[in-house]
Amino acid sequence: MTPPSTDSASAPSRRRRWVGGSSAIVAVAAGVLVLLALLALLADVVTPYDPLKQNLIKALQWPSASHWLGTDDLGRDVFSRLIYGCRIAVIAAAEATTIAVLLGVPIGLFIGYRGGWWDWVVMRVVEAIVSIPGIMVAIVILALLGTGLHKAMIALGILFSTSFLRLARGVVLAEREEVYVRSARVVGASDSRILLRHIFPNIAPPLIVQVTLTVGAVLLAEAGLSFIGLGVQPPDASWGTMLSTAAAFMDLHWFLAIPPGIAIIVTVLSVNLIGDVIRDSIGRGIAVGVRPGTPAARFESAAPPAEAAGPVGVAIDNPVLRVEGLQVMVAARDGGEIPVITDLSLGIAKGETLGLVGESGSGKTLTGLAILGLMGTGVRTTHGSIALNGRELRSLSSSQMEDVRGNEVAMVFQDPTTSLNPAFTVGSQIAEVLRTKKGMNRKEAWERVVELIHRVGIPRPEERARAYPHELSGGMAQRIAIARALSCNPSLLIADEPTTALDVTVQQEILDLFRDLQDEFGMAILFVTHDLAVAADVCDRISVMYAGEMVEMAGVDQLFAMPRHPYTRGLLTAMPHASDRNPPLPTIRGSVPRPGSWATGCRFSNRCDFRTAACDRRIPLMGRERLVRCVRADELVLEAAQ
Amino acid sequence: MFRLVFQRLLALAPLLFIVSVLTFSFTSLLPSDPVDLIIGDTGTQEQHEMLRERLGLNQPIVVRYFQWLGRAVQGDLGTSFFNSVSVTGAVMQRLPVTLSLTLVSALIAIAVGVAAGVAAALRPRSWVDRAATVGATIGQAIPNFWFGLLLVAIFAVNLRWFPATGFTPISVSPWDWLRSVTLPALALGLSSSAAIARQVRSAMVGVLQQDYIRAARAQGLSQRRVILRHALTNAMVPVVAVLSFQITGLLGGALIVEQVFSINGLGTLAIGAVRQQDIPMIQGLVLVMVALVVVVQLATDVVYGLLNPKARPS
Amino acid sequence: MSDDALLEIRDLDVTYWGRALLGLKGKTFHAVKGANLAIRAGETLGLVGESGSGKSSIANTVLGLVPASGGSIRFGGVELTAMKTRYPSDIRGQIQAVFQDPYSSLNPSMTVEEIVTEPLRVHTKMNADERRARAIELLKLVSLSEEHLGRHPHQFSGGQRQRIAIASALALTPKLIVLDEPVSALDVSTQNQIINLLYERRDALGIAYLLIAHDLALVHHISDRIAVMYLGHIVEEGPSDRVYRAPAHPYTKALIDAVPLLDPDAQRRRRADRKAAPAQERPRVAATGCPYKNRCPFAMPRCQSEMPPAFPVASGGTANCFLLDGATATVAAGSADEVVS
Repeated sequence: MTPPSTDSASAPSRRRRWVGGSSAIVAVAAGVLVLLALLALLADVVTPYDPLKQNLIKALQWPSASHWLGTDDLGRDVFSRLIYGCRIAVIAAAEATTIAVLLGVPIGLFIGYRGGWWDWVVMRVVEAIVSIPGIMVAIVILALLGTGLHKAMIALGILFSTSFLRLARGVVLAEREEVYVRSARVVGASDSRILLRHIFPNIAPPLIVQVTLTVGAVLLAEAGLSFIGLGVQPPDASWGTMLSTAAAFMDLHWFLAIPPGIAIIVTVLSVNLIGDVIRDSIGRGIAVGVRPGTPAARFESAAPPAEAAGPVGVAIDNPVLRVEGLQVMVAARDGGEIPVITDLSLGIAKGETLGLVGESGSGKTLTGLAILGLMGTGVRTTHGSIALNGRELRSLSSSQMEDVRGNEVAMVFQDPTTSLNPAFTVGSQIAEVLRTKKGMNRKEAWERVVELIHRVGIPRPEERARAYPHELSGGMAQRIAIARALSCNPSLLIADEPTTALDVTVQQEILDLFRDLQDEFGMAILFVTHDLAVAADVCDRISVMYAGEMVEMAGVDQLFAMPRHPYTRGLLTAMPHASDRNPPLPTIRGSVPRPGSWATGCRFSNRCDFRTAACDRRIPLMGRERLVRCVRADELVLEAAQ
Repeated sequence: MFRLVFQRLLALAPLLFIVSVLTFSFTSLLPSDPVDLIIGDTGTQEQHEMLRERLGLNQPIVVRYFQWLGRAVQGDLGTSFFNSVSVTGAVMQRLPVTLSLTLVSALIAIAVGVAAGVAAALRPRSWVDRAATVGATIGQAIPNFWFGLLLVAIFAVNLRWFPATGFTPISVSPWDWLRSVTLPALALGLSSSAAIARQVRSAMVGVLQQDYIRAARAQGLSQRRVILRHALTNAMVPVVAVLSFQITGLLGGALIVEQVFSINGLGTLAIGAVRQQDIPMIQGLVLVMVALVVVVQLATDVVYGLLNPKARPS
Repeated sequence: MSDDALLEIRDLDVTYWGRALLGLKGKTFHAVKGANLAIRAGETLGLVGESGSGKSSIANTVLGLVPASGGSIRFGGVELTAMKTRYPSDIRGQIQAVFQDPYSSLNPSMTVEEIVTEPLRVHTKMNADERRARAIELLKLVSLSEEHLGRHPHQFSGGQRQRIAIASALALTPKLIVLDEPVSALDVSTQNQIINLLYERRDALGIAYLLIAHDLALVHHISDRIAVMYLGHIVEEGPSDRVYRAPAHPYTKALIDAVPLLDPDAQRRRRADRKAAPAQERPRVAATGCPYKNRCPFAMPRCQSEMPPAFPVASGGTANCFLLDGATATVAAGSADEVVS
């Protein structure tokens, strides 16, 4: 019996979604609660017997037609007592929860917003109360007030008010830092207006959840207090006192414990389930994928364009990596699947850097993860082949794939501070790879770690190897991540926006480091980025992705000298350092479509200035040296040349 | 390590102080006059005054508090109003009982909760997840004392595997101790494991989505290693942060479950004290419990610091 | 600096206190030290710097979200620092803001109409109909339409959300809008739409902008003047074109040179000029001397002990670097040329 924990309310969306999905369970739970309320209201009418009427001749009987749930030690009808117990349960839950809310929420809001000494003092007192076992707090309060239902509920109300207080305070503190609250302060809204209009609406959802948690906890606590004789006093019938009686007759008539126990469990379970459903349905989700009601534009994967004679885009001898006709699907909310990458083919040679450039939702990051087989749940590769050093990766077992990862292909992620495990030193994380993948012993591994850390340009490597990730700057951490990726000398390195989270001067250092290490290690690099200028700096060839497909591929010089796809061209002119003039700056109209809402023909057509009727059909990737997915590419080049 | 313990201890000291002030002032608000409670209406005015003098009740409350605190620090929690036994003696006699029940149930709760939570998180929406989730949901709705009654009915009354009531100290017979503590500890621990399982699952699901887990996988580390070393270490951070609340809850739960098994622990003492409004006993009990909680808090804080380098003093 | 300044910042210090044991005030962190800036009415000042340079702290202090710990901020001749963070209504309505992340800067529980008209409710006596009419007008200004009024923020794309934020900032026709990285969370193809919108509205309504960004090239497009910050200090300030094309401070030059070019050939040449540099130690705020001294290729003994004051730059503006000091000109003549060229 502790106050229901607030932390469970603050992590809403992740938990147990499927329970909410099962509407039958919800209906049953709601039905149980309605029934409970009705029985509480109509207890006098529906009970067959007076709950207090004794009949010692008929004591401890098993269920029968006249006594549906049998009788207790004094011959009282268990069924009637159970229904009167509903009334007590409802009164108890209502009383204690109301007291808890009315006491906790205002104080919590006040100290959360006011802060300072008020906050400090109140929170220390709350901490003190919370640190005592809940039942002990109730016992102390009951010692003060005396025993009985209402007194016990006041005690529980005071006890549980601490969780409402902490909840309200927590919400205020969290929302205070939200940017929209800052916006409201900039607008000039007064404190009370910010508190009531901007912050308070956000407290309602967790508050409702906390109420359900508290109702459940109150029911359990009331039963507990009555059980030990400090709550409802005999002969009054409550579920707790009934259990107390049952405890005394466990060896004679164990059935007495069943009806009140089931009643408590079913009631608390129903309340908790309703709370879970509420919590899940009010999660502030960002709409992903298809909006309800919009039918997903399906990509006809079964019939790939026949024009493509042989896989395009991989006309390289002995590529390290060779991807052909890759298609990746992601599970949609309605149970179907939405394509996120379609018909993707590419190859990278030893010592070459291929840039994969695109905006959000283009599928560039997912391509890298698909190669590693690490797309996560709900995402799967449905078509195509991924061959690394001539070996098909899609047909490998998961343990074979484990062996490939790290040894043959490794990855560097966008945010270096989150891609290193916060719990271990950076050196131990590299050493772990060397020991598990290369079988080195502790000493060898550590020597190699220091060497690697030195190699990626970090001064004082022995000392830095013992640092935790949070003790390093972003640039340092990214160097460590690169050292870890290269520790087993992989033939392919996938770099996913490795400089996006870094400052521009640090970005330059890291880009130089990539070039430098490639000269020495000779690995192929798949460089994923949204920044064409970064790609221009580090890549040999660039393939531009838009809405899950490649729209153009060319050598870095040709691409920048003469982009052939209207999207590439638009992107190039839209880069901040592309033009030197004052606004209006060149733009691409509209915005990047989400997966699931792609046009059936050319996916860029609705933003394109050169659209024709031909663009409504699927467009294949065309060309030999250079590839472009645009029916008008040739005319556009001519037009640009003139 | 030493600095970590010292730092946390320093942070917890004010808690103990505040609780002692709260307890003392709160119990001093009792409406009935303890002197009346003890002597009843029969005593003479003189007897009343003498008793008042002896109990120190005619001094200002602040003085009484510091006298009480001074004695408490030396291990003297005063004398019960009723049977004139020393509170310290009464509490210490029953402490091992409640403590062993709490500790065993905590072990059960943590072991079962972590295992179920991890299993559920590894395969979201699988049957393991569903079973664990249903189990946790129902587990949170079951009153632990009712679960205890059920266990008694099945394993003690029917199967006669375990004793239905009573408690054997570990010093008397470790085997009988284990038998006597098993059912109550299961009743308590399994109920509490539900909450831990839910926390572990939600923390683990969150951690498994982190970049560093992906990075560890991309490095080709085995699934087992990624989960047990990289994911669990981090997933336990938020769980350990609230673990002391769980254990505090177990301590409270033990007071009730003791009644089911007729175990003569702190619970029985506390219930008796409330009925009789035995102030020194209640004060002593609360203080001892808070001291226990502080120890638990200290232990979880230290584990937290070991798991989470950011929380270590630099 | 100038008498006709709309916003004038002098010797501004912003200091944060870390939390120590028991929640009492602990170590201090100087986010901004001795900053001087001025913005005239209708002018755009771009404030550029890397993470941790203190540029957002200046923005937050001007907005009254963070109190200044020293110096003065005058807005239209009124001293703001004296009021700490509670500005009177007439000033509050004159200074508005657009923040970086369009996903968190709009209250998820409010409709577009409520968001856009919130400033009107607080500062004007307009009735519901008048506010609605104004909301429709504002949405048109940012190329959204009446049909969007009843929707909630989560129904919009990032670019559209930023338009809503701009509409709300324009509601009172303020004199100054603080733009804190207004496009850095957006896709490249939508960034320019927002920049163009900001530019059009400025010219049409005569609003001054304080534009905070990390990308000098982007800032250069719409700023009249640019100020560059490094570790809490403003190291260079001047006309936009001059700072971008002829940076006088070594840090500004390093910042511009580090931005990758869209021309692979030029990029290759630039790369040839430098070798892969070892990682920089995490820069710390220097206790004495120039804040950039540890990374500066031109650092002189003098830079170790003396804080460089603002020296005038011939083609406009100032830079806090001893290379521009006439007294040391002989020593650093060669290097200075290199820097300025």
